[in-house]
Amino acid sequence: MAFREKIAWLTLLAMLIAYSIYFGLILSRPEPPTMLGIIWLFGTISLAQLVVVIAGSIAIAVLSGREARARADERERAIARRGARAAYYVLMAGMILAGVVMPFSEPPWKIVNTALLALVIAEAVNNIVVLMSYRRGWHG
Amino acid sequence: MARIANQIRTLRFLAGEMTQAELGDRIGVTRQTIAAIEQGKYSPTLESAFRIARVFGKPLEEVFQWEE
Repeated sequence: MAFREKIAWLTLLAMLIAYSIYFGLILSRPEPPTMLGIIWLFGTISLAQLVVVIAGSIAIAVLSGREARARADERERAIARRGARAAYYVLMAGMILAGVVMPFSEPPWKIVNTALLALVIAEAVNNIVVLMSYRRGWHG
Repeated sequence: MARIANQIRTLRFLAGEMTQAELGDRIGVTRQTIAAIEQGKYSPTLESAFRIARVFGKPLEEVFQWEE
């Protein structure tokens, strides 16, 4: 498995676990969360996820040796662009929902969390498209 | 459906069993990318295609073929 594919797996798994916990906690609260509560919880979980991804990336880089130090080649750059392009449309749809549609009818905490969910889904789509491209090949 | 076929596996064999990693190093891509090109899962850029052909000392059309 290529170095950058391992990093994509690590990023995807870490974010799925981290934000499942975040949205699980937010949705299970009997009262709507305060803005400070949202920022505190999201910040704490994001920081924990970041630490896990950085530590994991360092471990993978050490185990991968020379491959980790090499620049991304043309196929890896093309795969990254494909993932980012797919994620852009997801993010755009989520931001239109959170920024244009929801302000007319929903409370602030729902708007904020919808925007955060859009970010998380977009990043997940990015990593899933990258992983599919590595697994099935570019033309797969 | 059209696809780009290639003779890289054969040419590597004829070049003294050159490994995918060695070929990758010579043209500046990873071993996985060479494997994907060989299997027809990824079509290289024109620049990389010419680099591969140059490594084997062959014209481009002897390395890559357009199949319909």
